[in-house]
Amino acid sequence: MAGRGKLIAVIGDEDTCTGFLLGGVGELNKNRKPNFLVVEKDTSITEIEETFKSFLARDDIGIILINQFIAEMIRHAIDAHMQSIPAVLEIPSKEHPYDASKDSILRRAKGMFSAEDFR
Amino acid sequence: MGVEVTEVSLRLDELLLQFMDQLELLEDRKRTLNSLIEEGWFAISKARYAMGNKSVSALQYGSEMEPLVHVHHRALETGEVAFRTERKELQPPGGFPEEIGPKEEGMRRRKTNKPKDPTEEPQEPQQASLLKDVSRQVGGQPQPQDPLKWFGILVPQSLKQAQSNFKRVIELSAEVAALQTRLMATRREMQRSLQEKRELLTGKEEQ
Repeated sequence: MAGRGKLIAVIGDEDTCTGFLLGGVGELNKNRKPNFLVVEKDTSITEIEETFKSFLARDDIGIILINQFIAEMIRHAIDAHMQSIPAVLEIPSKEHPYDASKDSILRRAKGMFSAEDFR
Repeated sequence: MGVEVTEVSLRLDELLLQFMDQLELLEDRKRTLNSLIEEGWFAISKARYAMGNKSVSALQYGSEMEPLVHVHHRALETGEVAFRTERKELQPPGGFPEEIGPKEEGMRRRKTNKPKDPTEEPQEPQQASLLKDVSRQVGGQPQPQDPLKWFGILVPQSLKQAQSNFKRVIELSAEVAALQTRLMATRREMQRSLQEKRELLTGKEEQ
């Protein structure tokens, strides 16, 4: 566990990002690239997906926190991510309560108990 | 052959119980995490009500950001990953008085109008880099600022409450991330055991 450690990245609405930045996760690196994305009404899905993929590609990020309604927009990209690091955590948002049945990890876990497995 | 199947079945039962326990723990932690986040939003909303609508928004984020929290991870033999957060302690306000005066230590070279001597030329860059090194060491890294200060010097108590809620959320998120990887490791192990059992059973049928 030696070394500087990794960062926590956030993709979320304004209040979620504000809260986590208050908590001290924010970073603007030398290239002025932030480790968070404030998703507003006019933020495109492409931009969200590109940011998510760029966070996956960065080796200094250990955990990505994402609002579940935003995760729903880029579900294919989240489902395609199978590595343990960075870990992707889906969190609720102010207007959309958390639904465990939509969570990628819990759906993967549930998939364990399909009829196919018990043949 | 029968003994082997029984052994694999017992192992599968054990893994299933383990999987269910982990799932229950994960759901419990997620519930706590979500309620803490909700409390944090409520506190932010209260702060916004007290400070004004535009006073707590993305516009106030600092132009310089230094992370105060880092996540350390360690891969375990079982395929799990253990996450741990580490928080950088901020210097207490007023703990160290602000230094007044020149920050550079050591000798400074006085500028003179002496004509340049061609023999002195090669020494110049070396001295310059030496001075640069000294100033870097003395200046050191910039001290990270408390993100609360982005929103003003005297912020309402509710904003401090929001900060403490989100600090706890950050710690808990490392635990949830570790639980997620543990759950996935158990799932992989179960799939491996199921495959093994299937192979044993098909082998038995063929015999």
